Amino acid sequence: MTKLQTERAPLLDREFESSELMPLAPFIDLPLIPSVGRGVVVHDRDGLGIASVLVRRGQSDAFARQVKQQFGIELTAGSRRACAGDIAFIATGPGSWFATSEGAANVFAASLAEAIGECAAISDQSDGQAVLRVSGPKVREALCKLVPIDLHARAFRIGDVAVTVAAHIGATVWRLDDDAHGNAVFEIAVYRSLADSLWTALSESAAEFGFKVNGRP
Amino acid sequence: MSAVVSSQSPRLSHGGLIDRQRTLSFDFDGVKYTGYGGDTLASALLANGVKLVGRSFKYHRPRGILTAGSDEPNALVELRTGARREPNTRATVAELFDGLRARSQNRWPSLTFDVGAINSLFSPILVAGFYYKTFMWPAAFWEKLYEPLIRRAAGLGRASEAEDPDSYEKAHAFCDVLIVGGGAAGLAAALSAGRSGARVILCDEDFMLGGRLNGDRREIDGGSGVEWVRRTVAELESFSEVRVMRRTTVFGVYDGNTFGAVERVSDHLRVPQPHQPRQRLWKIVAKRVVLATGAIERPIVFGGNDRPGVMMASAARTYLNRYGVLVGRRPVVFTASDDGWSTAFDLAEAGAAVQAVVDTRSHVPASILTTAKKAGINTLLGAQIIGTRGGNELTGVNVQRHDGGFERIKADVLCMSGGWNPNIALSTHLGSRPRWNDGLSLFLPGELKGAIAAGAAGGSFSLAAALREGAAAGAEAVQATGFQTSPWLLPEVDDEPTGVTPCWYVAASKGKAFIDFQNDVTRDDVALAAREGFSSVEHLKRYTTLGMGTDQGRTSNINGLAILASVTGRSIPEVGTTVFRPPYTPVSFGALVGHHRAAEFRPTRLTSSYYWAADAGATFVEAGQWLRAQWFAKRDETDWLQTVVREVKSVRSSVGMCDVSTLGKIDIQGRDAATFLDRVYINLFSTLPVGKTRYGIMLREDGFVMDDGTTAHIAPGHYVMSTTTANAGKVMQHLEHARQVIWPDLDVQIVSVTEQWSQYAVAGPNSRRVLEKLLEGALDISNEAFPYLACAEFSWRGLPVRLFRVSFSGELAYELAVPARYGEAVIRALMNAGKEWDIVAYGTEALGVMRIEKGHVAGNELNGMTTAADLGMGRMMSTKKDFIGRVLAGRPGLVDPNRPTLVGVKPIDRTRRLCAGAHFLSLGAKVALSNDQGYVTSVAFSPMLGHWIGLGLLARGQQRIGERVRAYDPLRGGETEVEVVSPVFFDPEGSRLKG
Repeated sequence: MTKLQTERAPLLDREFESSELMPLAPFIDLPLIPSVGRGVVVHDRDGLGIASVLVRRGQSDAFARQVKQQFGIELTAGSRRACAGDIAFIATGPGSWFATSEGAANVFAASLAEAIGECAAISDQSDGQAVLRVSGPKVREALCKLVPIDLHARAFRIGDVAVTVAAHIGATVWRLDDDAHGNAVFEIAVYRSLADSLWTALSESAAEFGFKVNGRP
Repeated sequence: MSAVVSSQSPRLSHGGLIDRQRTLSFDFDGVKYTGYGGDTLASALLANGVKLVGRSFKYHRPRGILTAGSDEPNALVELRTGARREPNTRATVAELFDGLRARSQNRWPSLTFDVGAINSLFSPILVAGFYYKTFMWPAAFWEKLYEPLIRRAAGLGRASEAEDPDSYEKAHAFCDVLIVGGGAAGLAAALSAGRSGARVILCDEDFMLGGRLNGDRREIDGGSGVEWVRRTVAELESFSEVRVMRRTTVFGVYDGNTFGAVERVSDHLRVPQPHQPRQRLWKIVAKRVVLATGAIERPIVFGGNDRPGVMMASAARTYLNRYGVLVGRRPVVFTASDDGWSTAFDLAEAGAAVQAVVDTRSHVPASILTTAKKAGINTLLGAQIIGTRGGNELTGVNVQRHDGGFERIKADVLCMSGGWNPNIALSTHLGSRPRWNDGLSLFLPGELKGAIAAGAAGGSFSLAAALREGAAAGAEAVQATGFQTSPWLLPEVDDEPTGVTPCWYVAASKGKAFIDFQNDVTRDDVALAAREGFSSVEHLKRYTTLGMGTDQGRTSNINGLAILASVTGRSIPEVGTTVFRPPYTPVSFGALVGHHRAAEFRPTRLTSSYYWAADAGATFVEAGQWLRAQWFAKRDETDWLQTVVREVKSVRSSVGMCDVSTLGKIDIQGRDAATFLDRVYINLFSTLPVGKTRYGIMLREDGFVMDDGTTAHIAPGHYVMSTTTANAGKVMQHLEHARQVIWPDLDVQIVSVTEQWSQYAVAGPNSRRVLEKLLEGALDISNEAFPYLACAEFSWRGLPVRLFRVSFSGELAYELAVPARYGEAVIRALMNAGKEWDIVAYGTEALGVMRIEKGHVAGNELNGMTTAADLGMGRMMSTKKDFIGRVLAGRPGLVDPNRPTLVGVKPIDRTRRLCAGAHFLSLGAKVALSNDQGYVTSVAFSPMLGHWIGLGLLARGQQRIGERVRAYDPLRGGETEVEVVSPVFFDPEGSRLKG
């Protein structure tokens, strides 16, 4: 257990200014196993506004109309992600979504509640979920060591969502549009407290392909 | 490949699929040898003339290499040294690498001179089931003497006992068609399936694809079989949806079309490449499977058939054709099949002086006899080998001719071939029984769902059949998954005879005739077992251990039950067969564990203050998956109790801060949220106004307490429930079940927000001052504006935050919740704000001490066996409403006035320490279970009282305040006399928390 303690750079030098509260991204400063190549590249999605959305009893249609009207998003049945602009709705179960908004962080839940009105229960999860974007030419080869579901392009299409596990950690996985090189792009959301464990599992699994953090050498 | 024998080395100067440019040095039992790239340890040993490689399990008989594959029963060796040492590895599948160190097993002091071989002299008492009947008297000797002796004598290899320095991992794969086996049938199946564009996985346990095509000299489409394999594999590997997995054994079939496979990524390397695991465990989900698992050659059971130098005929051919090793210069072939003859022909062509082919059959195809004649081979038809000669190595065989005459033939290797058994192990993993085929005298796979057996695995032994059936099976499988295939022209192959007339036992032979080489089961053992009544095949297996070795009786099962059939006068199908269980071949625990070992055995949950706490000197304790700060020792503190006492005193005298983020937090919203809460809690929540918090208890359906905690009415129709850390998940499940199943009509939405909020308890008489300083007027928290049990959601420095005035310590206390990404910043701000009042951080231990001082229940009391009344909270149970657990809480047993109830205890001798778990006995009562009065649940040293205190569950406890009882603890401190007191030890009036 002490392993976790020593691996991360000490935070004592992160001086606290009394006038300012510095947020801390869940995957920041986690140790990177030195590896060759960029087979798997990750981005910490800290700052993404995330809210859980649970439809009120009997309000499904009203909710869908409201989402369409407010965000121009057509919600489809099943475990799919639908998006328009900066807003996305990620289905996590019957009548249940994660709604996300780029960079909106904690502000998002309140504004979403205002927009949706009474037809859904909204709770801020921007801090509760740690989201990692995983891409690169070897992304599937690495993720198959963590996730027990089929991520093949024909089985897990762009916009598909799965509530599953990643290395024994409860996780929500969805697939975004392919990147400019045609490589698949996934996002994995786990409870924030498990970010370190996910990181360890992913970095060990991806090291053979070269594991890099976007923006870090 | 003619007459290339130029020296006395068994290794030919050319030929084979080895890389003579790559010389590898290795040692076996300390002797240095060299081999080539592409060798196995077995082929390299044979190339160096090493025939004796091990000692048998029971009799310590000298044993040599029998096979050239994963069916090997004899050549089990220890590989490597130090932490990487692994026992019981089959030399026949161990890929040679430079610097490999191997060691024989089950011998002392040396392989050639083994003291244990004396067991052979005692063999009359080491027969089947000997341990059930020989070492029976005196009874006390069994555990102390006989069993340890037998276990030591029987032990094969030695485990390293050091931590494995390599890593292992697990992975998942999915495909339309899985093909198990990369021989002719498997490759043809993969071509059919792969060309359709379907997702295909081809697994082969060998490091070189091709199966028998590598060991036999065959022609396909006018070229060599090996050449065809190369071309085919190249084509397969050009398909983006085909994955060819070498060194990968499919070891088990599981429900849901799931297959277990282990890929030996680095077993053939001295040390794994950077970031590469030693082995990788695959879980493969396939829509269809083609079993192209080939066949296993049967030994012939005759006296002396285990002498080193006796080898399977197909193995001799493999060593010759694949590894360029001539296993003997004067071979004799003993066969009951046409296939055995091809070994004789190959050996003769390579320059060996084949002494004889002894065929148990009187009639063999004329084409074979013609070839034999051309090669000048002495043929003995209708003859049998009745004995072998030699010590640790074969020197000759004794033959009984068809006319009854005897011949002694000098030989350095005896190649035997009793025919082939389809390798059907995987087909039986899900319970399908093998089918006996009378014409072929073998078991075929039973009914297979979603699977097709092709080639030798299905009993079709010719190469042409393997290619034809493989191609058809691949096409059929892939069509079943919705892909189109187009027929392709099957390659042309030379034809071969595949006739066999089984010879189960050479009755005329003398000496031990082994069926199961690995477990030393002889023909006589089977006969003895049958005589003693173990005539069912399942009993036979367990009584004699036939087929129970690491090879699962690959080479022995059929011979064993054929002999059982013959001694009991039944047919083989009447006797039946045992089935196989996973794993097909041994799987290392490392592969099954993957990365999940040591600290990574399971995921760890860290609060956002974790790194701050670590820097602040916290010692952590596991609470489920969480790591929580247990205490924060200062540099000069040497004892945890010293630290905890300081933390408690600081809180009670000034102020302290504790991270309580791990407690479960559940957002409850909806029109019917209040009704929902009324139904899950024993007490009323619909009367709770906005801005207030209430303590609640919830029961399980069976009436026992499930969990306790507070629920805050944070905004109209919006509640935040807190649970204990341990029960957070369980309560969430419970509420989801209630919402979805019991009351789907209620408009209630629940979601866990545990991880969204970092929550800090600030406790102590100065807690309000610290918070006032921190919050800088963001909320009026004066006693009037924010009294005990108030709650509020407000904005502070642009953050949405929540404040609750609740107390677990009994002090004036608050819990401040902030979005988790600010958790670390806020804990620093909080500690800064508290400097003026010497704020301390305190851990779970101080938290526990203070709750015991206050008589608050926690996990030790909420143990699933206590009712609300047991815990002194019976009056909280509302009579005005229904709630989960109400009815069953009224069961006679749960309202029995004699039930143990919550009390406090103090040692009469205040210097005595109390122990949790000690049982209560009345003074003077005899120590007996019938006198048990309950037990101590929680103890702590109370810094405020200056002595140990405890909580406990004592029969009729509430009426016994003031009484003295004994706390009896035979495991630790004997017994302590205690006084029964109120569970509230400190500030019983509760004046401090209202302050």
